[in-house]
Order: sequence, then C-alpha cells, then structure tokens
Amino acid sequence: MNIPKLVMKNITRRKGRFVFTLLGITIGIASFVTLLSLGGGLKKEIKKQSAELGANLVVTPKGWCAYEQVSVLTGEQLPEAIPFDVVKKIAAIKGLNSVPYLTERTAYQNNPISVIGILPEEMRRFKNWEMEQGKYFTAQDEKAIIIGSGIAGQFKLKPGDELTVKGEHFPIKGVLKETGGKDDIAVYMPLSVTQRLYEVSNMVSFIAIKVDDISRIDEFILKIQKAANVAVVSDKQLLKSVLSIVGTVSVTLQLIAAVAILAAAFGIINTMMTAVSERKREIGILQAIGASQRTIFSIFFLESGFYGLLGGIFGVAGGLLFSLLAAPYISQNEFTSLIRGTNVGEALDLRIIFGSIIFSVAVSLVSGLYPAWKAARLTPVEAISYG
Amino acid sequence: MDDTIIRTENLHKTYNSGKVKTNALRGVTLEIARGSFCCIVGPSGHGKSTLMHLVGGLDRPTEGGVFLDGMDITRLSNSKLAALRAQKIGFVFQFFNLLQGLTACENVETAMMFAGATEKAQKERAEALLSLVGLSEKLHAKPSDLSGGQQQRVAIARALANNPDLLLMDEPTGNLDSESEAEVLETVFRLHRQGKTVVIVTHNNEIAQRAEKVITIRDGMVAKYVLV
Repeated sequence: MNIPKLVMKNITRRKGRFVFTLLGITIGIASFVTLLSLGGGLKKEIKKQSAELGANLVVTPKGWCAYEQVSVLTGEQLPEAIPFDVVKKIAAIKGLNSVPYLTERTAYQNNPISVIGILPEEMRRFKNWEMEQGKYFTAQDEKAIIIGSGIAGQFKLKPGDELTVKGEHFPIKGVLKETGGKDDIAVYMPLSVTQRLYEVSNMVSFIAIKVDDISRIDEFILKIQKAANVAVVSDKQLLKSVLSIVGTVSVTLQLIAAVAILAAAFGIINTMMTAVSERKREIGILQAIGASQRTIFSIFFLESGFYGLLGGIFGVAGGLLFSLLAAPYISQNEFTSLIRGTNVGEALDLRIIFGSIIFSVAVSLVSGLYPAWKAARLTPVEAISYG
Repeated sequence: MDDTIIRTENLHKTYNSGKVKTNALRGVTLEIARGSFCCIVGPSGHGKSTLMHLVGGLDRPTEGGVFLDGMDITRLSNSKLAALRAQKIGFVFQFFNLLQGLTACENVETAMMFAGATEKAQKERAEALLSLVGLSEKLHAKPSDLSGGQQQRVAIARALANNPDLLLMDEPTGNLDSESEAEVLETVFRLHRQGKTVVIVTHNNEIAQRAEKVITIRDGMVAKYVLV
C-alpha cells in the first residue's frame, strides 16, 4: 500500500460522486478551453486578414468607428462613401500604390457572396494575383467576373459558367489561385461595372495603400490628408483598433470561463467537504493506526489534485471537441465569421492544452486546501467516535 | 528495562460540550506490567474508553501524565504521537473499524505503510498475520464480505502489523456472537501467551476472570484494583 494507491481507492469507491465531481471540473475546464481557443482563433485570424490586405494604410471616410474599420478586414458590405476623385488625388501622390475597393453583396444559390469592384490592373499588381483557371480581365470596363478559388470550389463554378448579379448575367472569365485568405471567398468585377450595377456612380468604399518607404509613413499620412478630407489608418492603428475590439470579446469570453471555473472549484470544495464529514470515522481509524496530520492532509489534498488532473485532461479533450463542433455554427455570426478559416488544431495550441491542465490541477489543489486542512485538524478521538 | 509498560499519574479528563462540563476521568493512577493481561471493567459511561484513548495516545488528558516505557506521551507533538501509535500500539475497537474500501490484506498493509515499511515487506507480513489469525483464505475479501468475527480478526492482524508491544482493545467481542467471540478470544489469549501486553476494556466476565489484573473504573476513578 502507498498513499497514491490509497487515494485512488478512495476516489473510485464512490463511483457516482466521482463521476459527477469530475463532470463539474470537466465542464468548467472545457468551457475555459473553448472560450480561450475561440478568442485566440479570432485574434490570429484577424492578424492574418490584415496582413493579407497587404496594405500599410487604409483610407476610410472620416468618422468611421472601429467596427467599420474591422469590416474592412471581414469584407462586409460597407457604405460607398469616398468619391472617385479622392481616389485619383491619392493615386497621384508619388511614392505609393493605391487601390480602391467597392464592397457589395450578392447571392448565389441563396448564399451571400461579397462582390468587390476593383480596378483590374492596379489590383492585380497590388496583390500579385495569379490565375488558377481561365483568364484575367483585359479591359477596365469588361463585363465579366473573376472568382476566388473558395467560391469556385464551394459552388463548383468554372470559367464559362454564368453568375447573375442584380439581374444581369456575367460570364465567369477566370478563377484566382488560392491565396488562403478572404480573397478566396469573393467575386471581382471591374469597378465601373460594379458602380453602374449598384448605382453608386463615382463612389468607392475604402482605399488600400502601400507605401514605398515604410519609414516615411507619417509623412504619407499627412500628404493624403492634405489631398483629401478622409481618415487614414495605418495597419498598426487598424490592427490596434481591431484587436481592442477582439480584446473586449476575449475578456468577455474569459470572464464567462472564469465563472465556469469558479463553479467547478466550489464543486470540488463541496465534494471534498462532504467527503471529509462522511469519512470522519475513517480519518480517525487512519490516525489510530498511525497516520499523522500531515498524511491525512496529503491524502485529501492529493485527492482534489487528482480530480483536477483528470478533469483537466477530459476538459481539454471536451473543449477541443466542442470547438470543432461549434466553430461552424459560431461562424454564422457576422462578427465571428472571422473564425471560419480557423483551424481548431491551430487555435488550440500546446500552451492552451498544458496550461489548462496545469490550471485545472492548481484550481483543484487550492479548492482542496480547506477540506484537507479540516480533515487534518480532526483529533483521533473526535473522528473515531463519529457516527 | 523497567517491568512497567504503562503508568498513568493522576489522569483527569474534562469534556466541555457547550455549557456542560463532564468529568470523564477524575484522577486515575495505575500501572500495567509488561507482558501482562489486564482488563478494565466498570459500568458504561464511567470513563473506561476515555482511559483507553488517553493510554493509547488518541486523546490528551486535561491533567496528569501517561508514561509508556517511562516516557510521558502527553508531551509529544502530534506527529511524534502519530509515529508512536504506528509503532508501539495496536488498537482493536468494538466496531472493527476497518477501512471499507480496502481488502483484508490492504487494511493490514495500510497500518504498516504509516510505519514506513516497504510494499514488499507490507505484503509478506500482512499475509503472514492474516494466516496467524486463521484468515489465509480471505486475504482479498472486503470487510463487507466477512463475518463479524472475521472482521475483528482482520482488525487484530492490523493491530499486530508493526509488532507493537502493547495491544489495546475496546470491547473487542462486544459486537460478536458467541462463536465469533470464542474465535477472537482464542487469538487474543494466544498473543498474550506469546508475550504481548494486552489491555482489554470489557463487560465480559469470562475475559475478566482469565485476566491477570482487573481494574474497575467507576465515576471516572479507579474503584478496585485486583491482581488475580
């Protein structure tokens, strides 16, 4: 016989209680892991999206809030608020490349799709797009559509097929090579065609800008603001405002997780307290046959720790499974649609796995402190005369 | 070595439960010789078990001293007292007090674990002791699968686990039918013949008659001290 063996026998003796206590911790840790990994996934994805935008600066209308700035990254439909002559003025500034975006929305087989109006040549240069199938636009006002590889895959579309946008038929001219990002899940039309179709003559949604010399970025911001009455956000600022929103979401998620953990902790305390009072007599017997107070303490302390370890392992597994199952549903939401591209395995990194297990053990040990102390404090006679 | 294994000096024990004070022991002084067979008798509620708990280091007196091999155990720290219980004293209780989740063998092993024996030594000795009390067939039985007499014999094997000098028994046959009682008593007498000091708290006259010393406790004091 040894102490860990004795602890195991104690735990497994009352199977019902064992299962329910374990469930409590497992659920706590699972929600913790799920919420953490969703929050982490959101952050990662947003960083990825903004990197993929390939821009150092984004020009938006004045007075946009952070949510609208995030929308630049999510590819949602945005108000058409920048006149085209602003695009021209900015394009005229030396030392930078700029491309306007007009983001609109259409539907295919009842699924919403982003339609983006672009200046074909400028955009291709800006993004270094390559073709998977078919051909790219050849004229600035060509009545055709280029589609992202994700859209092509999802709807089994290929060059030669037709898309109907706003009641007009457009031939699909080409499919872009996979970029791994938002570009894959949009369709592109020349800006002028999009403007006519959506009746937004001479307007665009936002402008993405790359500067040649990144160290002079502040200078460029001033130049742009001088040329037009617009807001200029640098990628850092954009990322910062995006991350501050995500941060708020993460904090909220973490708070919910904390409540779950707290509930689990009190579950352990409760179980262990019940165990102490139920096993008073047993504690007395152990003391009578020579167990010291320290031994009694370690028996109960280890017991909680073991609950924490098992609960942590099951909780992480459960959290992983839940993230996997829940991610598609969560991505239906407009804001959390960012999670769509997130690989759960990627979001749930080793740090979260081991961190959560260690955390679970730590929470359980802390929860076990008081009951273990109560058990150790019993005098042999008090314990043995019980019941 | 001194021939006295236990000596108590003016032992007092007062319980305070709320506003009521109970004087369970009121100045008990006695001596028990090494290797003797001693019975403590007396009416229920007059302090026999309290005396037993104090002698075994399960409780501390309000006043007075308990000397085991000449050492005052009331002055020991909790952990030293626990070590002493593990090594020098074997307890047997009326209600067996076995650990229900463990087998007969594991119950005996647990007592040896607290005295620091290796797992191999624990297993070997536990099996030998259970054979000694006639339970070699029941090594892996849980207490719930054993009769009262068998459970009490497991408890005796456990009390012997660390080869203590002193066996303290609180009504060991109080909860047994006569057949089981005979089995248990036979084991106890044999242990005494082998040189163990046995102190039994009992109501049973048959045991008292076979004891070498009978101490009667009444109203928390020694009422009679008979050497047989």
